[in-house]
Amino acid sequence: MNQRRLHRSATMALMLSAAIAVFVSAAQAQTVLLENGKIIPVNGEPIEKGSVLIKNGRIEAVGASVDAPFDAKVIDCEGKVIFPGMIDAHTWRGLDVPNESPGVTPFLNVYDAIDPSQLFFEDSLRDGVLSIHVSPGNNTIIDGLTRVVHPIGLTPEQMTTAPDVAMKLSVTPKTGYDRMRQMAEFREAFRKLDEEMAQLAEKKYEDKLREDEKDLTVPPEEAREKGKELIEPKDIPDKNRNLLMLSQGKLRNFVYCGAAMDVPAAIRTAKQYGFFDQSVFVLGSETFKAIDALKDAGRPVVLDGNLVHTEADALTGEEEETFVPKVIDDAGLKFALQRQWGSTLGERYLWYQAARCVREGISRDHALKSITLWPAEMLGLGDRLGSLEKGKDANVLVLSGDPLKMTTWVELGFVQGEKVYDKAEDIRLNRLFAAPEDELGPSTAPVSQPVEEGHTEVHQGEYEEPETDQ
Amino acid sequence: MSAFVRRSWVARMLMASLMLTVVAQGSVPADGDAAARPKLAIKAAKILTMDDDDTVINNGVMLIADGKIVAVGKQSKVDIPAGFDVIDHGDDWILPGLVDCHNHIAGSLFDLNDGVYLTNPGLRTVDVVTPRNENLENCLSGGVTSVLLIPGSGNNMSGFGTTTKTFGNSTEEMVIKAPGSLKIAQAGNPERYWYRVGRRFMNWNLRQTLEKAKLYHDGWTAYQKGEIAEPPTFDIVWSDFRDLFDGQFPVSVHTQIYQVYMTTITMLRDHFGLDVVTDHSTFDSYKLASLIKERDMYAIVGPRVFHFDSRDRTINGCAARFAEQGIERLGINTDAPVIPQEDLSYQATMACWYGWNDHYAAIKGITRIPAESLGIIDRVGSLEAGKDADFGLWTGSPIDPRSVCKKTFVDGRIAYDVEVKRRTR
Repeated sequence: MNQRRLHRSATMALMLSAAIAVFVSAAQAQTVLLENGKIIPVNGEPIEKGSVLIKNGRIEAVGASVDAPFDAKVIDCEGKVIFPGMIDAHTWRGLDVPNESPGVTPFLNVYDAIDPSQLFFEDSLRDGVLSIHVSPGNNTIIDGLTRVVHPIGLTPEQMTTAPDVAMKLSVTPKTGYDRMRQMAEFREAFRKLDEEMAQLAEKKYEDKLREDEKDLTVPPEEAREKGKELIEPKDIPDKNRNLLMLSQGKLRNFVYCGAAMDVPAAIRTAKQYGFFDQSVFVLGSETFKAIDALKDAGRPVVLDGNLVHTEADALTGEEEETFVPKVIDDAGLKFALQRQWGSTLGERYLWYQAARCVREGISRDHALKSITLWPAEMLGLGDRLGSLEKGKDANVLVLSGDPLKMTTWVELGFVQGEKVYDKAEDIRLNRLFAAPEDELGPSTAPVSQPVEEGHTEVHQGEYEEPETDQ
Repeated sequence: MSAFVRRSWVARMLMASLMLTVVAQGSVPADGDAAARPKLAIKAAKILTMDDDDTVINNGVMLIADGKIVAVGKQSKVDIPAGFDVIDHGDDWILPGLVDCHNHIAGSLFDLNDGVYLTNPGLRTVDVVTPRNENLENCLSGGVTSVLLIPGSGNNMSGFGTTTKTFGNSTEEMVIKAPGSLKIAQAGNPERYWYRVGRRFMNWNLRQTLEKAKLYHDGWTAYQKGEIAEPPTFDIVWSDFRDLFDGQFPVSVHTQIYQVYMTTITMLRDHFGLDVVTDHSTFDSYKLASLIKERDMYAIVGPRVFHFDSRDRTINGCAARFAEQGIERLGINTDAPVIPQEDLSYQATMACWYGWNDHYAAIKGITRIPAESLGIIDRVGSLEAGKDADFGLWTGSPIDPRSVCKKTFVDGRIAYDVEVKRRTR
């Protein structure tokens, strides 16, 4: 990434909101040595006292002792924890609306609706979520392309970690549809794609014959077959390009299965149309009941933000609770945790979700991987994100303590080697912790001073009533 | 009884129409003959020429003839030739006619948006220019002489705008440029389409329409350069876009909140390379001023001139925020009838009240800047020899709300005179 651009975006984000603590001290990405910290690299054993060297936006070295160049900026992390930036595997936040009205829109792209000014991104940065997979919501059939962004930048271009990462689909019926109709829409979409591609092949073949001044009277079947290889990428209409890639198994896909009964349909559909090997299943809270089918499929899954499934026995009324991640983990599947952003409780933090997994008996190693390395792998970014390893993007957090501890805060955040967050400069957060007599004043702040806004409905709060003018 | 009521109703209608006729006749001369375009030498205490050098002439005189400005200068330096009637306006100021980039009242307010499609490349506002309508008569009392008449923002692409004078007897007489712009609204109103649409769909759809238009333009360009032998098939819908992609006129965009303003810059300017006028820069769009500055674009603020940031509880003057980030190509618009067209100068007043401390720049923002942004600066927007004789005679600075526009001239004709009929501006 262009470092100057990232810097500019970082400073602009400061202006976006006078209250957020985002600043960068130098125009160029510095060589930075984080030393004397406890390193939790996620992919290996923790190092009790070690250093991480950041250079050219990448992690250059991790170890108990690291040789740093003379010009490296040295940050003492005594008593702190160095941890990879956390990853939100799947969210529609950051967009204006989760889904469009039409259900089959494979040509759409979240790029067109990402709103960098949303408080959601600022909060993600503060919470240490340095990579966010922005995807259309679940109320859809074949939706558009997704994107992985870092929560800092003026425009989606500046925020992009990886564009066009996956296609979003849902086998669970869209509002107003039933399951038969939902499946019929899949069939229709792929049939139409086949037909249009066949017509294109036929036309290409006939064009070729015409060009070569040959006899045009060939059977359509033959033309359609022979014309296939004549199709060049530029011939493919925009509206079919993504769907074609999907059907050729060249596009990662996130398939929503809201209920257990949707899992077989998802597997069948993915296999039938050739995208199963790239599938990630996004599960609803009761989908764990199809654990055998999920286990057979062996594909990674994204779990619902609500980790506990509660169900009342139909006869006795007795409530039964299931901690979903445990079922998934016991089946040996790789999983990613989601934030439940609308929640006013801890579910809106990834670290909290992971801590609850440990509480319910999942290993600490798996819990940490479910918010870092596993989502990175699901997104095809396992070589760039998710752990502290030489050569990976320097998306690094300096935490005040263990990532799963309730008193821990993000102290520093680096995105691609640039310091983009410093808790000391985070005015909103500092106000939260300030004593009443402090100049910043917490709850009794006069209206002229910035105050923390409620976290619910941030996406709508950004938008004032639609205008009445023309 | 009923007959009486009916007769009475008819009588009232007759009375009303009679009165309207009287009013129309009692206003100002409408004929386009030489008598209405006199040779005049107008003396004034101050002439704000709004030219490139920001020349302000004290105790000046301006000569006009045949609807054009002949000379502007100090009274001591300009000789008044024979045949020019001298009007001494003593303590008054002469200002260029004001220019507004965002207007709906020069046309019919019943024909704002066609609601069938989200993008409407075949529509033109030149079809609905309505000379001498009541709103235009009012607008002249505020010294506004040129406007960009655009369709509403109910669709993502609602048609081609028209730059037009606010006074004249026919569309032909009034129009400066048609098309004067292409009107686009990327979001902010079009989401109310009969089935709800979000920004992913709207931006994709708009981009597809523009890609088609560009393909047409590129085809013809290639033909004209001799790169292809056969001309593409003529298409009356896409043909209007040829001048757009050639930079003959800008896209005027109903921009809005941050994300919408941003996509205007990234899609229309960066991706399509179009000349963009963001003539609705309200809400928190000033947060993107650095992108505007990098690209040397125009930012035209209005109809809202301040933004209350509920997140940080701050009051922000939109123009002031742009100005403090170094935006000099900064203008003000009304979105008439949202803000009455005659109140364009009040819009500038309020922009100053909300912290835009450069009051001269604010006057520039309702004269020269909008004229430049619309590509009509060769004819209007400043007082220079050779330009159209469009100007107002003011009792003082136009952004001082105590000032009155006493007379408005359009193409050398008197279009408003407070002494003939005072309108309550």
